This record gives sequence, C-alpha cells and structure tokens, in this order.
Amino acid sequence: MSLVHLAHVCSHLNNATKARLGLTSIPNTKLHLSLLLALQNDGFVSSVVRGGKTPPPPHLLLGTPAVNDPVQELEPVTQKNIASRRLWLGLKYWQSESVLGKMVPISKPTRRINLDLRALRRVVNGEMSDYVEGIRSPGESLYLSTDRGIMEARECVEKKVGGLVLCRVL
Amino acid sequence: MSLARPAKCLFCSFSRAASAVGPRVPRRQFHPTPTYLNDRKPDLPNAKLEDIKTPRDQKPNTPEQQAPKQNKAANEAGEVAVDANAQAPVDTNVQPEEKKTLEEIVRNLKPENFQPYTAEQKAHLAKVYTPEQIAAIEAGEASIDPKDMAEQFGVRRDPMKLLYVDDFSVVEPGVDKHIRAPESNSEYNPQLKTEEDFAADFGRFFAEMPENGSVGDWVRFVETLRVTKGKEEAELNPHSAMVPDLFGPGENLSGQKQQQEMKETEEKGKESEEMTDALKRLLQDTGFDAMEIRTLRTKTLVAHSVVNQTRLGKVRRQYCLSIAGNGDGLLGIGEAKSEEAPDAALQSKYRAIRNMQPILRYEKRTIFGDVVGKVGAVELKLMNRAPGFGLRCQHLIFEMCRAAGIHDLAARVDRSRNPMNTVKAAYEALMSQRNPEDIARARGKKLVDVRKVYYSGRITN
Repeated sequence: MSLVHLAHVCSHLNNATKARLGLTSIPNTKLHLSLLLALQNDGFVSSVVRGGKTPPPPHLLLGTPAVNDPVQELEPVTQKNIASRRLWLGLKYWQSESVLGKMVPISKPTRRINLDLRALRRVVNGEMSDYVEGIRSPGESLYLSTDRGIMEARECVEKKVGGLVLCRVL
Repeated sequence: MSLARPAKCLFCSFSRAASAVGPRVPRRQFHPTPTYLNDRKPDLPNAKLEDIKTPRDQKPNTPEQQAPKQNKAANEAGEVAVDANAQAPVDTNVQPEEKKTLEEIVRNLKPENFQPYTAEQKAHLAKVYTPEQIAAIEAGEASIDPKDMAEQFGVRRDPMKLLYVDDFSVVEPGVDKHIRAPESNSEYNPQLKTEEDFAADFGRFFAEMPENGSVGDWVRFVETLRVTKGKEEAELNPHSAMVPDLFGPGENLSGQKQQQEMKETEEKGKESEEMTDALKRLLQDTGFDAMEIRTLRTKTLVAHSVVNQTRLGKVRRQYCLSIAGNGDGLLGIGEAKSEEAPDAALQSKYRAIRNMQPILRYEKRTIFGDVVGKVGAVELKLMNRAPGFGLRCQHLIFEMCRAAGIHDLAARVDRSRNPMNTVKAAYEALMSQRNPEDIARARGKKLVDVRKVYYSGRITN
C-alpha cells in the first residue's frame, strides 16, 4: 500500500478536474482500483476501466470507455501486459462544476492515521478526532481502508469497523 | 381523513368545522412505515364479539347479556348519527359498549342505521344552516336509499384520498389555489376599436352627459372605456394559463394582520423619505415598491475617507460599504464613493439593495456546512451550528447574518481583519454554499436529511 502513489493520484485528479478533462488515467494498483470503485459507487466518477498506455476505445453511446462494451471488447489482462496497465477514469461535471470537488490525502507515508470505531463516530458526527477533521459539509466523504475493503466513513460506522484513513473527498 | 368521524357526516363533510385531529396542511410523509391505523381486521373474523370475550368481562345474568345485542342496532344508529358538531343526545338506555374499529362499523352497517334526522338534530342543524341549506341536505339524504348506503358504504383508500382534515368552507391561501377566470372569458379574435368606434363612444358620452356634468363623469367614462370589441370579460378579466398567485395583495396565512401592519408602516414612511430620482430608478430596477424598500434592513458597515493624489493636489472623498437584506434569505453588499458622506452612504445602500441575492439557509436559520472565504489577506471560515446557538461572531458578520436572516452561526477570521475585506469575504463564503439537492443530482445519489426524517418533516426549510 503506497501512500505516496495515493497522494500523487489525489493531486493528479485535482489537476485533471481543474483542467476539465473528461478522461484521465492513473497507475494500476489494487489500492487505486478499489478506492476508485468506491468513488464510482458514490457517483464521483463515471467509469473505471483498466486499459493500456493509450485510452481504451470509447463506448458507442456513453462517449467514455466502458467495462462491459459488447462492440469493442477490452484487451484482456495477461502476465505479459499487466505491467503496462493503467486505470482510465471518466470524470463527471455538473453545471460547469466538477462533481469530484477536491481530494485531500489524510494519511501520509510518515504518519498513518488509524481510526477505531469510537473515533470514527466522532468524525462522522462532525467532531475532530485523532487529527482528523469531522465531516461537516453536505456531500463530504472520507474513505478508509479496512479489513473489509475500502469504504466510506459512514459505511464503516454502520458495519462497526475502523481502519486506515486514506483521503477526504469534498 | 379522520377515522374518528362517524359514518353519516362523510356525506356532509362541509358541515364540520376544522378539528384538531390531524394536520391541516398536506405534508410529505418521510417515514417508510405507514401510520398505525386502528382498523385492522379482527384476529378471528368468524367469531362473534360476545364469544371472544373473556369470562371476566361476561356479566353473570343472561338478560343483561342479551341487552347489548338488542340495543346494538339502536346504539349504532345513535353512534352513526352523531355528528361531530351536532351532539345529539345518546339514548339513555343504551349501555356503554366496547369500542369498535372503523372496519367493524363499516362491516356491520344495516339500512336501519341510516335514520332520518330527529327533530332535535334538525333544531341543532337550524342553528348552523340556513333553511335552504337544510332543505338541500335533506333532499340529498332522501335521494339515497339506506339499503344502498349500508351495502356500498366504505372508507376511501384510493391514492387520491385527502391526507388532512379540512372543512372546505374557507379558502386557505397556500393550500387552496385562487379561482382563475373561466376559459370562456378568452376572446379568440380580439379586435381593437377603430377610430370611428371611439368617436361613436365619445359621441354617446357627450349626448348622454347630464346638464351639469362634472370632471367625475369624465374620469368615470375614461376609466370604463374599453379598447377592444367583442367580449367585455375578455378585456377586463381575461383567462390566463398562469397559475394564480397563492396570496392576494396583503393576504397571508394568519389572516388580515399584515394589512394593518402595512398601513402603519406606510403612514410612518411617508413622512420620513421623499421620492428622489435615485429612489425612483431603484424602484424601477428592482421591482420593489417604496414600502418594501423601507422594510429592508440596510446598514452602512464601513465608512472612511479616501484620497486620490493628482497633480493638482489631494482629492478627498468618502467611501461607504453597506449591506442590505430582507431578513429572509436575501443579502447584498454595495460600495460607493462620493464627496459628500451622506450621499455616499445612500448610494451604497441603493447599490446593496440592487445587488441582493438569495443565500442558501439550512432550516432558515443556519448555513449548509462550513464555508471559507478569502479576499486579500482576510481568510475566514463560517461554521453552521445547532438551533439556539446564536450568532457568535464578530460584529460585521453578525450584521450580515441578521440582514440575511441567519440565526445560528460561528465564524473565525484568520490573518487580516480589515473590515472591508471581511465583509466581502463573508459574502463570498455565504455565496459559496453548496446545495445538497445539486450535490445529489450531480452524483446521481439520494441524499436524505436525517433531521427532517427524525422529526417527520416538521422542520421548516
């Protein structure tokens, strides 16, 4: 789990949304993939597709690459090409504002912050706990890496698990 | 609809006064489980009530046990005929029976239960209704066969049923829409009067004018003179596709109160401020009338003199920054410079009124989330707070919140505290709030306000 790469992804996505890009790519790792799938599940990004150095062919109707495209199938991942894979993300915009507002990494490589359930409850209630600011704005999300996968803070409280705080999305 | 209502008054629901049984305003029901209704099916549908009774409830002697059975029809008739208003005397020999659910009443109805009004009930009705209304009620009741009533009587369960109690006798602004002009008022081929028509009108006026005609006659003629030919109502009261306004002028939910207040302020205001050109232009631009402008909250927050150094010397002018708000979600700021101090203040106030923009407010008391603003070296953060917290912030932000109608807020001004930039940064922060509806729409997710769900939508927003 490289938090250095995660910080790079956060700033890369901030730059990409500021430049109003529709499609961008990040290195393919298991951590990035599961975090981005969690973001996609919450509606921050429109698509997450594993492709090569060049973007996969766009879907005929959606305009961005899609995972289950029956017309143009994706290149299968093999031992030979796994090293050159990247994650291609479709970014969303609404009323000329980026849906993915700002990603801020919280755990740093030199200071990893783990929150237990009690601390997480305080954070979800909007209070500061363990150097993590509370969730106080509408639509604000906090992503944690737990032993049940990467989840949003509220979902963690619901499932009563704590974990390593990865990043905050506004 | 109220389930406590007896059966008969379903057919004369306009007769009831509004009761305090349920909410009068339709309200979105947030809770997923339906309200518990006391008309469930009995646990043992085939068993009679007497059989289910526990031995302790049963009276030892049989004659009394039989009595309720005989009186049942009469009792039900009594219960059914009792109007919510008309407290008809219940038969004294009817014993207090066990409570029935609405379902049971509906199921056990017989034609005998629908008796005509007794003389006493009629006397009571006569207190409330005119003879014509009573005649209409009686005719309506006579036109329906009691047998049909007993067979077909039911409780409304369709999706169009009313979820609130209403006596339909008064128009309630907000719930009931105003009556719009009928469609027959439209004229499909409207034609303007020609000059000859006007000449004929004037001729008629002069011909019919009395000997000692006054200016009043002329004014009346000019005011009633029509411009088009054809239907009169098409010009005077045309049909419109627009939904009529919820409130008429001076009308509000609580009745006539507002009108009196308006009159008072009008009388006061007339003396204080005369109509200047600038004010006239402001009224034209904003669409407010003079009375509304006067009720706005305006305040000059920053005032100091500024100097322009020219080769001829220093030119001194007064600078003013004002805010304006209506105390209900509108806020604007305006700046002005002038040689005269009062002129600068007035100009800045008018500019603030012109710049007024809606500000998002959560529950009409605080802001959505924490917002930051930065102008120059002033960096500030506004934080939303719980009800009753108050405005714990510095005076400039306090005044802005008061003008905008925000009641719970905390603020922190970091780095510089320049008054002018503080006001501008606070305005920027207030305007940068994000609407949860927009966030939900952008993400394609449903966001739920838990506070509203918890208080079943009773929080005004």
